[in-house]
Amino acid sequence: MIKAKQKPIAEIKTLIAPYRNILILGCGTCVTISFAGGEKEVGMLASSLRIAAAMDKNAQLFTEATVQRQCEWEFIDAIADQIQKADAVISLACGIGVQALAERYPDKVILPGVNTTFLGMAIEHGVMVERCRACGDCILGLTGGVCPIARCAKNLLNGPCGGSQRGKCEVNPETDCAWQLIYDRLGKLGQLDRLSSLMTYKDWSKDYDGGPRKIVREDLKL
Amino acid sequence: MTSEKRDLAPPTVEPLPPCAATCPAHTDVRGYVQAIARGDFEEAYRIAREPNPIPYICGKVCAHPCEDQCRRKDVDEPIAICALKRFATEKHDPRLGHAPRLTQAEPREEKVAIVGSGPGGLTAAHDLARMGYKVTVFEAYPRLGGTMQVGIPLYRLPRETIDLEIAPLKELGIEFVTNVRIADVDGLLSDGYRSVFIAVGSHVGAKLRLPNAELPDVWLNTEFLRRVALGEKIDLSHRNVLVLGGGNVAIDVARTAVRLGAAQVSMSFLESDETMPAHPWEIEEAKEEGILMYPSRTFKECVLDEGKLAGVKCIKVDFRGFKPDGALDIDEFVDTEHILAADLIIFSIGQGPDLSFLPKDGSIAQTKRRAIQVDPVTLATTKPGVFAGGDAVTRVGFIIDAVAAGHRAARSIDAYLRGVDPRTVQPDESEKLGAIQEKTISHIRKLEREPLPKTDAATRRATFDEVEHGYTETQAVRAALRCLTCGAGATVDTDKCIACLTCVRVCPFEVPGLERGTANVPVEQCQACGLCATECPAKAITMKLYSDDDMIQDIKRAIKRAKSDSEPAIVGFACRYCAYSGEEPKVVQARFPKNVKVIDVLCSGKVDSLYLLKAFEYGADAVFVAGCIVGECHNDKGNVHAGQRVAYVKKILDELGLNGARLEMFNTAPGECTSVVEDVIRLAAKVKELGSSPVPYPSRAGRSN
Ligand SMILES: Cc1cc2nc3c(=O)[nH]c(=O)nc-3n(C[C@H](O)[C@H](O)[C@H](O)COP(=O)(O)OP(=O)(O)OC[C@H]3O[C@@H](n4cnc5c(N)ncnc54)[C@H](O)[C@@H]3O)c2cc1C
Ligand code: SF4
Ligand code: SF4
Ligand code: SF4
Repeated sequence: MIKAKQKPIAEIKTLIAPYRNILILGCGTCVTISFAGGEKEVGMLASSLRIAAAMDKNAQLFTEATVQRQCEWEFIDAIADQIQKADAVISLACGIGVQALAERYPDKVILPGVNTTFLGMAIEHGVMVERCRACGDCILGLTGGVCPIARCAKNLLNGPCGGSQRGKCEVNPETDCAWQLIYDRLGKLGQLDRLSSLMTYKDWSKDYDGGPRKIVREDLKL
Repeated sequence: MTSEKRDLAPPTVEPLPPCAATCPAHTDVRGYVQAIARGDFEEAYRIAREPNPIPYICGKVCAHPCEDQCRRKDVDEPIAICALKRFATEKHDPRLGHAPRLTQAEPREEKVAIVGSGPGGLTAAHDLARMGYKVTVFEAYPRLGGTMQVGIPLYRLPRETIDLEIAPLKELGIEFVTNVRIADVDGLLSDGYRSVFIAVGSHVGAKLRLPNAELPDVWLNTEFLRRVALGEKIDLSHRNVLVLGGGNVAIDVARTAVRLGAAQVSMSFLESDETMPAHPWEIEEAKEEGILMYPSRTFKECVLDEGKLAGVKCIKVDFRGFKPDGALDIDEFVDTEHILAADLIIFSIGQGPDLSFLPKDGSIAQTKRRAIQVDPVTLATTKPGVFAGGDAVTRVGFIIDAVAAGHRAARSIDAYLRGVDPRTVQPDESEKLGAIQEKTISHIRKLEREPLPKTDAATRRATFDEVEHGYTETQAVRAALRCLTCGAGATVDTDKCIACLTCVRVCPFEVPGLERGTANVPVEQCQACGLCATECPAKAITMKLYSDDDMIQDIKRAIKRAKSDSEPAIVGFACRYCAYSGEEPKVVQARFPKNVKVIDVLCSGKVDSLYLLKAFEYGADAVFVAGCIVGECHNDKGNVHAGQRVAYVKKILDELGLNGARLEMFNTAPGECTSVVEDVIRLAAKVKELGSSPVPYPSRAGRSN
């Protein structure tokens, strides 16, 4: 899922400084699961900002709401009233939700309250890690189910590099070397011979390099 | 959320915790036990009083069938439910009235007669009087209370306790007529009583038909106890007393004989030591008082020596109970005939009602077992307008059974007098909460049951003074904190749940699971620790006994009280399990500075990070959370979560420029309540240096949100 992290309060305060009536809008899916933008976090941020406003003796007013997914027109249409009443909206959704709101409510100031960080999972409660870069051309079938694009700092297709140290990455010694993981996995699968042939170049045009991507399913269109 | 994810399931009827389900009067045991745990003793009394017009009596001598079913028994031992009721009555301020918040309807014209002033009659009279009826209670004996007055010995139930219950009934306008044995039920109906409730109890003791059983030194249980209870001076010194029977009444007889000075008191009965029918605690106390037990015997003859009673001829037996036809399932052992010596024998093998007063025409029918025949739902007898309940119907029972019968009869009589079908006014039988699963039990902390203080056996042999004494406040709170809060835990709003699995992961008791794509907390397993509710990022979980809104109101109130001083206001959340480490919370709190106000919680894990922030939002100058040290949490790791939340919110406060030092977590080791006092005093001193919070009070937020 999409993982996100709340922005520092100081940054949010700066973003909202010009506005008086502010709606803090949570999203009930990915950011809730990553403890960044669900109903609970909306309450926490609202309380923090009320404290900040009281300390600064400004007259900002905060209201709170959470929708199931900010990245769907129907869900964000359902709270049009609350959005219209606000001078600005802090969206605690990922960047998709923020943009959906901005597109749907062209005359409203929509501000991001979180930094959308990566696609990943919680490997234990409270610890979230990156697993996928949405490169558009998945190679996990060649790499034993470990992604070198998302998990190798250098996106090497034919790793490891010389900086792989006792299974850790030289860029961050807390990170496992993705290529060590690939090597170990392929060994377990009896497919080490794969490593003897070079992987050819990757078609990066399917990644961001080809510009914003789009998927169209003609069969589904209404 | 604005979504409607799935159809709402039809509302399910909530099963009652086994304590309440088992109590014939369905007393909200959990409610009053929890109120004691919270320190709200008047609320505990109110809850215990509501379904029971004689709570003082029941707090002392209720047979408490609830405790046998209390789910704590599967963990260690049941909650001391009865003793806690006693505590609630002893704490109750009588100036608040016997029945706080119960009302009395406008007077009505109809007169109702109640025959018998035992718990059944008193309860029906109470309810009917509150409904506005003119009620008269007729009692054959000079004193009111039925078997409680003429059966139960004084060392278990002082008569002042009965008086405490009767006086308020008189204030309700009930007319009591003593020394009148009703002999003509039809006469009552023709005297203008529109309905009659017969609750005459079961007062005729039974003897076995043995040779010589009619001798003057062969007595009956009920008569003996009644003579003693009504004040007759009976001297048993130098006598060797043998009680035949092994039930609770037999124990009362034997222990009464001890107190009348008998040289030796013994009991003999069919059952074995293990299957003896009396309550185990009664047997234990009897043995402590020197009563000898001769189990597994049948009796053949009262034997004489030189014309005087010398004992009972017995044979040893293997008694396995009763056959379906009522006959004994028993084997006698050959060559085991022997004599148990005694010069006074008291039969205590059961008792039955005296129904000789019923109309001779059989219009009030009796059962084959010589009890009054009634419709079990309405308690209506075969005569219109006449209802019956209690021991007169069941032959044996407990006080609380008779109380329940009294309520049932009152509902029926009211319906009957209003021309409504009495069947339609009786509540449905409630379902009982299921058992706790093994894996959950394995995570529940074992806590010793608090024994009731008792007079030592040597002292009590010589007196009819009460044997058992009430809990102190500290003991009662400790005893109440053992309650598992059955059935009042977490509820998941499936419309809000997004199956993030947080609850599944954080629950210390392995309770939540996923069902049809959302979290599910099985009501019979949840231990109500509240961790899942505080951690759920979707706010999909609510707790039955408190809500975020309640907490926020508590926080606002605490700040207001703390602010009344010119000092900075400090609000604390203190776990009642451990922050005070067994001391009385009031006593510990009294040692806190005046500007500290405490919100008690059952486990620091219930303190949501939002509550901490809100406290500052509403103007607290400092906040603390007090729990126990790691490894000692009642809920395994609620204190660890609390500590993590405190650390997290401290960071937010720092970011806000409010200074994280204004928030602290204290961990008290068992038995060291001074440490929390020192911690709080230190925090107060620090906050004094830091000065008031830069959030103005009363804050705009505090007023508007
Ligand atoms: C020795 C003993 C100890 C007990 N101890 C306990 C205990 O510790 N805990 C517990 O829960 N239960 C105990 N029980 C059982 C409990 O007392 C009874 O189940 C309960 O009292 C039954 O209540 P009741 O209202 O049906 O009748 P009772 O309490 O028996 O009251 C019936 C009343 O009706 C009166 N009466 C009878 N006939 C007439 C008439 N014709 N006219 C007017 N008045 C009449 C009687 O005098 C009596 O006062 C004990 C019973 C006995 C015998
Ligand atoms: S633990 Fe508490 S709620 Fe549960 S059965 Fe016992 S007294 Fe009742
Ligand atoms: S923590 Fe809340 S959202 Fe997550 S699974 Fe449990 S109930 Fe659902
Ligand atoms: S309240 Fe506690 S015991 Fe009940 S489900 Fe939630 S975490 Fe588990």
